[in-house]
Amino acid sequence: MANPLTLYIPIKQDRLTQAEAQAAYDNFVPGVKAGLDDAKIVHYARLALIPNTNAPGILAVCVITSFDGAMDPYLDFFWNNGALFKAFSALANMALVPPDPPVTKDDETGFEKFINDNNLNKPSDLYNNYTHTVKEIQKRFAEPPPA
Amino acid sequence: MPTPMPPPPEPGNVQGLILRGYAHHPYSCHMLFTFPLKDLAGATGFVRALMPYIQTAQDWGSSMPPRMLNIGLTYSGIMMFDAMFDSKLAGQFPYEFQSGPWSDSSQESLFDAGTDDPSDPSLWWNGYDNKLIHCIVHSYALTADALSGLIEIVSHAAEANRLTEMLPLKSGSGRLEEYAPLGDFIHFGYHDGIDNPALGWPDSQEDTIPSDANNFVIGYPGSSSQPGPQVGPAAAFAKDGCYNAFRVFYQDVEAFDQFLAANAPAVVTAIGGSLDDAREWLAAKLVGRWRNGSPLILSPDAPDPKTSDCKKFGYSADTAGLRCPFSAHSRVANPRDEPTNPGTDTPVPRISRRGMPYGAPPVPPDYSGERGLIGLFLCGSLVNQFEKLYTWINTNDFSDVFSSPTQDALLANRVPPATGNNSDVDPSFTIPVPNGNPIVIPTMPQFLITRGTAYCLLPSIATLQQLAGMAK
Repeated sequence: MANPLTLYIPIKQDRLTQAEAQAAYDNFVPGVKAGLDDAKIVHYARLALIPNTNAPGILAVCVITSFDGAMDPYLDFFWNNGALFKAFSALANMALVPPDPPVTKDDETGFEKFINDNNLNKPSDLYNNYTHTVKEIQKRFAEPPPA
Repeated sequence: MPTPMPPPPEPGNVQGLILRGYAHHPYSCHMLFTFPLKDLAGATGFVRALMPYIQTAQDWGSSMPPRMLNIGLTYSGIMMFDAMFDSKLAGQFPYEFQSGPWSDSSQESLFDAGTDDPSDPSLWWNGYDNKLIHCIVHSYALTADALSGLIEIVSHAAEANRLTEMLPLKSGSGRLEEYAPLGDFIHFGYHDGIDNPALGWPDSQEDTIPSDANNFVIGYPGSSSQPGPQVGPAAAFAKDGCYNAFRVFYQDVEAFDQFLAANAPAVVTAIGGSLDDAREWLAAKLVGRWRNGSPLILSPDAPDPKTSDCKKFGYSADTAGLRCPFSAHSRVANPRDEPTNPGTDTPVPRISRRGMPYGAPPVPPDYSGERGLIGLFLCGSLVNQFEKLYTWINTNDFSDVFSSPTQDALLANRVPPATGNNSDVDPSFTIPVPNGNPIVIPTMPQFLITRGTAYCLLPSIATLQQLAGMAK
């Protein structure tokens, strides 16, 4: 059964950050595809821009994924992967409330805290239609059908 | 161009338990304390009172100390000292250390939590509040009298400084005291403590292997496990420290003995021999070592005193699990050269383990009484080493050798969190047999109950001196 991550990051409202958020949305799938393919634990992932209802622009960025296994012991894969770290650290840089400790390549502590502090969901929140993992599904459909 | 490593930590600044096993000290006691609330003087006074007895990692040569101790602090415990620091430490430690092993996120790996689960964190430590464990004092001694004397010193220091001791057991003194007569054996009859990493020091950051000391001692580069914090206000506090996942298990010896007895006939049918031999064979298959310590990989047919302490072997040639089942405990906890999933499960994390039995053995048919294992799991990163390995123990999905999500045959918590992501574990255990059908046990029993877990930092000597108000 999968586990949810719903990363909700209210972002700064300056023009540069707003443009960066739009770019993150436009480039999300190409930017993360190779890393997520290598991980073989993420079923789905998307990035959504939450509109600001009080003013023009983007209020927040939301990354929504479902993945296999416990989250925290596998965060170091994402921290170590260049493209995935770039995507997440970009979100940290946009955050209205800067993460403390900072998200940096010098220490995973800040990255781990940033993800956990901004995750809106816990495992029991997710409906699972099926229990199979990414690896099980890929293996099953890689096998030739019975004669 | 390789990036050079800084020099290794000074042994005089590292608590001894981190780099040494204290194997020559057969008596130990592990005492849990709550600091007096909003009473920095009490917390400071307690650490200061214990400083003369703290053992460092320096080589004691021919002068083995008759008694010694080491101190671990939980995040709650460290926060009791926060007022001492100009730059506050709150929020600066790894997430799992701050939130504790009872948290939802850690329980995704540990699998203790559950309605009606006797391992549920709400039942830990004889009902004490998990957050009130501030400090754990690990006392070791050469003799029972020396240990008693040291316990008295610690108790007096606690009383004088207004600490409250927590008594986590419902029997005996209530304290976690090593049952010394068992020596190096645990209640299930296995020789324990054979395989701990020999902590080396890499020549360059790129050459670090998981058993190198920079994966255990915080503050050094090159580790694949990211010990931390390495930046920020808490980096200096944590440097030369090490995390200890302190975990206490009740061992259900009755369930274990019944399991061996119930399944021995099927073993005799499959491979012949006596029922006694079959029980020993089964016990070996659960762990991957015979109960005397001989690894199945080296001694597949019978225990051999010549291999009982062997640590140098691999699994890669045992591709069908015919010598050692894939879900045997030692093969899961340290897959050695067995390929693991690239990226997410490579390299294999290592931990250093100090384990000792508590409680008297049963006298069958009477299995009553409290007994089990006190475990100190030492690592530089609780999440990337201890919790990562525990996800493997509770769900075997870290390697393509597994065709279904089975579990560690001995240690796993059989009931996953009901709300968790691994509610679909395979409860069976398969033992391949040469020239025959494998022995399949459809549902493995629960052999262990978690009595408590605490995440502690074993700070450096310099940090302890600072906490004791002794820093220059």
